[in-house]
Amino acid sequence: MDMIASLSLGFSVALDPMNILYCFIGVLLGTLVGVLPGIGPTATIAMLLPITFSLSPAGALIMLAGIYYGAQYGGSTTAILINLPGESSSAVTAIDGYEMAKKGRAGPALATAALGSFFAGTVGTLLLAFFAPPLARAALNFGAPEYFALIVLGLLMSIALAHGSILKALGMIVLGLLLGMVGQDIYTGQPRFTMGVRELYSGLNFVSVAVGVFGVAEILRNLENEKGRDVMVKAVKNLWLTKDDFKRIIAPVLRGTALGSVLGILPGGGHILASFASYSAEKRLSKHPEEFGHGAIEGVAGPESANNAAAQTSFIPLMTLGIPAHPVMALMVGAFILQGITPGPNVINDQPALFWGIIASMWIGNVMLVLLNLPLIGLWVKLLSIPYRALFPAIVLFACIGCYSINQNIYDVYAIAFFGVLGYVLMRFGCEPAPLLLGFVLGPLLEEHLRRAMIISRGDATVFITRPISATLLGLAVLAVVIAVLPSIRRKRKEVFVEDD
Amino acid sequence: MNKNTVTLAASMLAAGLAFSGTVLAQDYPTKPITVVVPFSAGGPTDTVARLIAEVMSQDLGQQVVVQNVGGAGGTLGAGQVATAQADGYTLLLHHIGMSTAPTLYRSLPYDPTVDFAPIGLITSVPMTLVAKKDFEPTTLAELMDYIKANGENVTYAHAGIGSASQLCGMLLMDALDTQMTTVPYQGAGPAMTDIIGGQIDMICDQSTNTTSQIQAGEVKAYAVTTAARLGNLPDLPTTAEGGLDLQIGVWHGLYAPAGTDAAIITKLEAALQKALTDETVISRFAELGTVPVTAAEATPAALTELLTSQIALWKGVIEAAGVYAD
Amino acid sequence: MAVSYFSTKDLVSGGIFVVAGAYFALEALTYEVGTAFRMGPGFMPLFLGAVLTGLGIVVAAGGWKKPDTDERFTPSWRGIGLIIGVVMFFGATIRGLGFVPVVFVSSFAAALSSRLNSPLFAVLLAITLTVMCTLIFVIGLGMSVPWFGPWLGM
Repeated sequence: MDMIASLSLGFSVALDPMNILYCFIGVLLGTLVGVLPGIGPTATIAMLLPITFSLSPAGALIMLAGIYYGAQYGGSTTAILINLPGESSSAVTAIDGYEMAKKGRAGPALATAALGSFFAGTVGTLLLAFFAPPLARAALNFGAPEYFALIVLGLLMSIALAHGSILKALGMIVLGLLLGMVGQDIYTGQPRFTMGVRELYSGLNFVSVAVGVFGVAEILRNLENEKGRDVMVKAVKNLWLTKDDFKRIIAPVLRGTALGSVLGILPGGGHILASFASYSAEKRLSKHPEEFGHGAIEGVAGPESANNAAAQTSFIPLMTLGIPAHPVMALMVGAFILQGITPGPNVINDQPALFWGIIASMWIGNVMLVLLNLPLIGLWVKLLSIPYRALFPAIVLFACIGCYSINQNIYDVYAIAFFGVLGYVLMRFGCEPAPLLLGFVLGPLLEEHLRRAMIISRGDATVFITRPISATLLGLAVLAVVIAVLPSIRRKRKEVFVEDD
Repeated sequence: MNKNTVTLAASMLAAGLAFSGTVLAQDYPTKPITVVVPFSAGGPTDTVARLIAEVMSQDLGQQVVVQNVGGAGGTLGAGQVATAQADGYTLLLHHIGMSTAPTLYRSLPYDPTVDFAPIGLITSVPMTLVAKKDFEPTTLAELMDYIKANGENVTYAHAGIGSASQLCGMLLMDALDTQMTTVPYQGAGPAMTDIIGGQIDMICDQSTNTTSQIQAGEVKAYAVTTAARLGNLPDLPTTAEGGLDLQIGVWHGLYAPAGTDAAIITKLEAALQKALTDETVISRFAELGTVPVTAAEATPAALTELLTSQIALWKGVIEAAGVYAD
Repeated sequence: MAVSYFSTKDLVSGGIFVVAGAYFALEALTYEVGTAFRMGPGFMPLFLGAVLTGLGIVVAAGGWKKPDTDERFTPSWRGIGLIIGVVMFFGATIRGLGFVPVVFVSSFAAALSSRLNSPLFAVLLAITLTVMCTLIFVIGLGMSVPWFGPWLGM
């Protein structure tokens, strides 16, 4: 079947009034749960699975997919407005997005996120429509050594996440890597650093860590110097982007989309790297790297686009090979099966109407999201006029309820308290939380792939440089370090010469 | 619609006032029932639970809600149900892992034979032996010879400690009296990805995860681990046909906490047996490559018997392999 | 005082890194380190723990002769105590007391952690938040948690 026929079949399914309705319900719900911290798309899709029983397969899957990418939109809203990221991707958005909000530029930050996401979502959907099978094949060339090399590259690039001391950023990354190792070792089952608590066997919950080091730590800091004034009085300047803003976001959106699209296809954890990688790239390429961390609009545009492109392309391994790239995709597998369709390589041929219908609906969903979110910006910004003293108790409550609802695990709630204090102390003494979170999400992957690569190669470490993709990635990692270190060496030399004179 | 609204309102009122104190067994159930699945949502066990829950809700006249309490190889969720109130409103749906946990975990906080009141078996999902496309052997006999000849040079993937694929691997190595290099993954999805990508040699996994890949020719299949061939893979021989002494099915059972009123257990047993004859359940199970058990097996007695015998079986296999999870 | 020659910032953050690194490394020593072929559960944490300890020492040493310049560290003990207390209380009682009482007490106490909030305002806020959260999470999203828990004897 040629592409035009396929796509028109897809649109005929997606434009069915009932399916449009399900798509709308999906993206609306997705936006709402994305906005609420804690309750992420995984929990929502799990809760809604029973409801989708009674729907047609296309309707059910269109709605569930809508929840997923809708949540990607919504998640950035909370990160920007109240510094409460619900997912690793929005942790990056929080860095500069929240700073923009503090300066009264929440409107442009939200608009940038929406526009960047829309563009990236569209490109991601096109890739899914035109190149899904070959791309999925290409991604299969990634084995354990390649993923290990990719993660090393990501970690070294991400030193750029910090705007203060590089040493402290490194320390936070390593601390994050270590925290990520709490829980049962997947190779031997050995519980590590769990202090005998069975609830910690599956590790610390990302949302608890993120909500602690970002949200709660920020609240504790704001409670420091209350002298009769409220902390977050914001003169909201404008809601929309200026001409200059537009000029500044075009290139980051394009680069973020490209980066995110590529990383999203890799089923072994590529999507996690997308927004971090984009942020690092933008900071490197920027003429004003010092603005990053203080409200640089590029720091919102790039990562948000990367994140949404990756969200879209992470459907590629699922739709073409039946392989889930992450927990949400695993849930989608469950949803397919409940509808009586086993996802796998044959879906594209056996169920063309379903396959193309879902793809077409993704684009329609993205249009709906942008139409839904742009008018909402005004409302969200108004939310900031709620006095902070009334807002922060709500943030604390939402954080607790959200984290508890994910696994009904009370240790997830205790973890918020621990990481709130830790994040606050570290922040107060000059360490930033973003590198810690990156380390935390990548730590388990780094170890998993390293150990797997070594087992498969039977202890032969040269596997990392004899396999071309892995060798290239490691080469880039070395290059990244050299580029990062060179300027400071040169500066030091100058200083030495100055002292010699 | 109207009736539903009334029931919903009534159940919310019931939950809200929580007059759970001493509910008479004949009134049971008066509020939604929670079925704990000790694995994350979307997996094969979760799918089985949701199919059953949906149908049982209709019969019991109350919502049967699936709650995923993943972690620690299924022992976290099971432990939670073991200590839950024995009022019939918290149940556990667990698979073969119920019988392996007492050996895999040397410090298990509950005893599967003491702390639960079995309700009945649900299904037993077959497993399939599959390998990467370009793996040398083409038949089961060749595969057995190849593994015996190459031993540790064969890489065997499994979905993690205590997973069905790890158990099947133990049985396979036991039957062939050799060792392969086992490579753990975080779940069946990533393991399958590496098989399809040719990064690793072989796996024995539930037909739920492998059937579509076998049909599409993405992986090479050798045998199914049940006594009879599968309906949707009629050309795939059984292990017995190929002369391999390996039989395993991932059986699923439904349990209540010990001490639950016998009348409630009987009511749940009847609802379970009825659900297993439901047409949607049968057809969805067929797509998973499995069938519901007969009414005679969906009983407390049958589940108790299987659980006891399986605990003894796995104790031997696991201790021989020397693999523990803590 | 010798400390005044030091940047407190570097000293404290370096110190945290050293303590955390040492904890992970020492604890990892009790796990199997393994071989290059089959790395044990102790390998990565031992390596990373050592790296973190080293980094901590370097960070702390970097603060030598760099006295603090910016404002002093003035934590709101009342804020920390109440906010952390609220989170711990929530975790400890959500199963026993149920959603409504826990949310009410938590939001009341959280509101009081700001000196700007009067008790009356805290009560009003607690009522609003309880109604809102119950509507959103329990009714709207169908979160499976009792409104009033078993500890209340109902």
